[in-house]
Amino acid sequence: MATPSRQMILNLYSSTLRTAKSFSSYNFRNYFVRRTRDVFRSIQAEKDASRVQSMYTEAVQDLAVLRRSAIVNQLYGGWRLAVEDPSKPVLERSDN
Amino acid sequence: MLSRLSRSVAQKAGSKQLAAASTSVGARRTIVQPSGAERASVVDLPATYKDESHFTPRSDMLGFKFEMPRREGNVKEKARPIYLDMQATTPVDPRVLDAMLPFLTDQYGNPHSRTHAYGWEAEQAVEDARKHVADLIGADTKDIVFTSGATETNNMAIKGVARFHKEKKKHIITTQTEHKCVLDSCRKLGEEGFDITYLPVENNGVVDLNVLEAAIRPDTSLVSIMTVNNETGVIQPIKEIGALLRKHRGIYFHTDAAQATGKIIVDVNEMNVDLMSISGHKLYGPKGVGAAYVRRRPRVRLEPIINGGGQERGLRSGTLPTALVVGLGEAARIAKKEMARDRAHIEALSRRLIEGINSQVEHVVRNGDVEGYPGCVNLSFSYVEGESLLMALKDIALSSGSACTSASLEPSYVLRALGAAEDMAHSSLRFGIGRFTTEAEVDFVIKHIVGTVHRLREMSPLWEMVQEGIDINSIDWSQSQH
Repeated sequence: MATPSRQMILNLYSSTLRTAKSFSSYNFRNYFVRRTRDVFRSIQAEKDASRVQSMYTEAVQDLAVLRRSAIVNQLYGGWRLAVEDPSKPVLERSDN
Repeated sequence: MLSRLSRSVAQKAGSKQLAAASTSVGARRTIVQPSGAERASVVDLPATYKDESHFTPRSDMLGFKFEMPRREGNVKEKARPIYLDMQATTPVDPRVLDAMLPFLTDQYGNPHSRTHAYGWEAEQAVEDARKHVADLIGADTKDIVFTSGATETNNMAIKGVARFHKEKKKHIITTQTEHKCVLDSCRKLGEEGFDITYLPVENNGVVDLNVLEAAIRPDTSLVSIMTVNNETGVIQPIKEIGALLRKHRGIYFHTDAAQATGKIIVDVNEMNVDLMSISGHKLYGPKGVGAAYVRRRPRVRLEPIINGGGQERGLRSGTLPTALVVGLGEAARIAKKEMARDRAHIEALSRRLIEGINSQVEHVVRNGDVEGYPGCVNLSFSYVEGESLLMALKDIALSSGSACTSASLEPSYVLRALGAAEDMAHSSLRFGIGRFTTEAEVDFVIKHIVGTVHRLREMSPLWEMVQEGIDINSIDWSQSQH
């Protein structure tokens, strides 16, 4: 297999990022978005063509896993965390 | 009209009389006895009562309300607290769950079935998982024994080795800061006639090698020292301890690495470890599964606790839970792959948390070695009770110590072993940072901790005295006669 073109990598990047953003759970979503950016930055920085090739194949496999995980997470996850809603007023107890 | 008026007048007069009677006689019961609010109790809720959130909290819930959002319906309504207790347990990584799901649905074979494809595929998956776990700790595949968790592994290693060698050797060494399951296994062996030495630790939580060497006796069979402490994050010098014990023949070295595997680099050959405990749910795997590393060359012999069909080299009989084992294997594989990235992330967050709190709150003490595992930050806030701090921080899931002892209000024995004063051990909080913790969460925690500590200190008379410059320790609190 030939080395993946720039366009192929960018396409994979955008679909991985889209999948990562589709996680319902706050922590998982943030982690996978961060990890996706990290992984593709390292592919971008890689000079060795064969290394790029293997990293690309790995990223393709990861995307398949991530797609399935995101679906399961949408089914069972998604409770809103306290940190996600900064607009909520901080309630003080009256006896404080 | 007149009759109605007269009746109401009569009623008024009657009630006045009654009131007068009850006040004059005091406790005498009459037909209409007003009951005070202190004697009121809710016997049953009326059928029309609709409030779902009504729930009487138990005393051990520290004043938290139990608000379990239901799956169906509006899960978006109530905010859940953010999770900062990664030493108690970690969330299952979605990739781990993805690897497990086939074995919870269609591939349900018994991995010990040798006669059909269902068994073969399950066995293949178990062996792959074994390889991933072995790779994580630098071991040989055949050295890994799957168990139900680190507690079982610790029991198996300590009791197994001690009982196998009980004819000649009756001495075991451990430390005072070990996990409860190690200490309790040792206590049980003590009842069976073994001699147990509980080594003290220094003020930073690290074992002194000279103290350890002095404790070794000719009849010592086992030394058990944990790699990373679950309450303070202190990393013991396992490599140096292993090298020291290697010089003494016939002493086996067990380490409880439940908090260490997948988080710091662990290599059984480099550390000269003979037995090691690994837990699944501390490295983003499922609960209910763990692994033991039992060295085969030179062979470590131990008496199994569970006897049966001879699975897992006869050390731990019973059918392996394929899905859980696969989950542990995948978690180990991911942990090895992601270790550098996780480590950098956790270190940055840990620094952010400590600096954030230290810059805004004074009189904060970090318990344990500063060079310990950064994902476990144990802080003591002076003049504030840890439990009341926890109660006030309803939006943050934290713990004041290990989950096993969080039901009791006793101060942590680990912190006491580190030489912390009683009040400091009472005012400790453990922050567990992990792979899925975000910067926003850390900032949220800093903001809330700072606000709550200031508010609680404002209420505290002790804090007022400290501000006035009175030395708390010089006060004689007892009201005894002088």
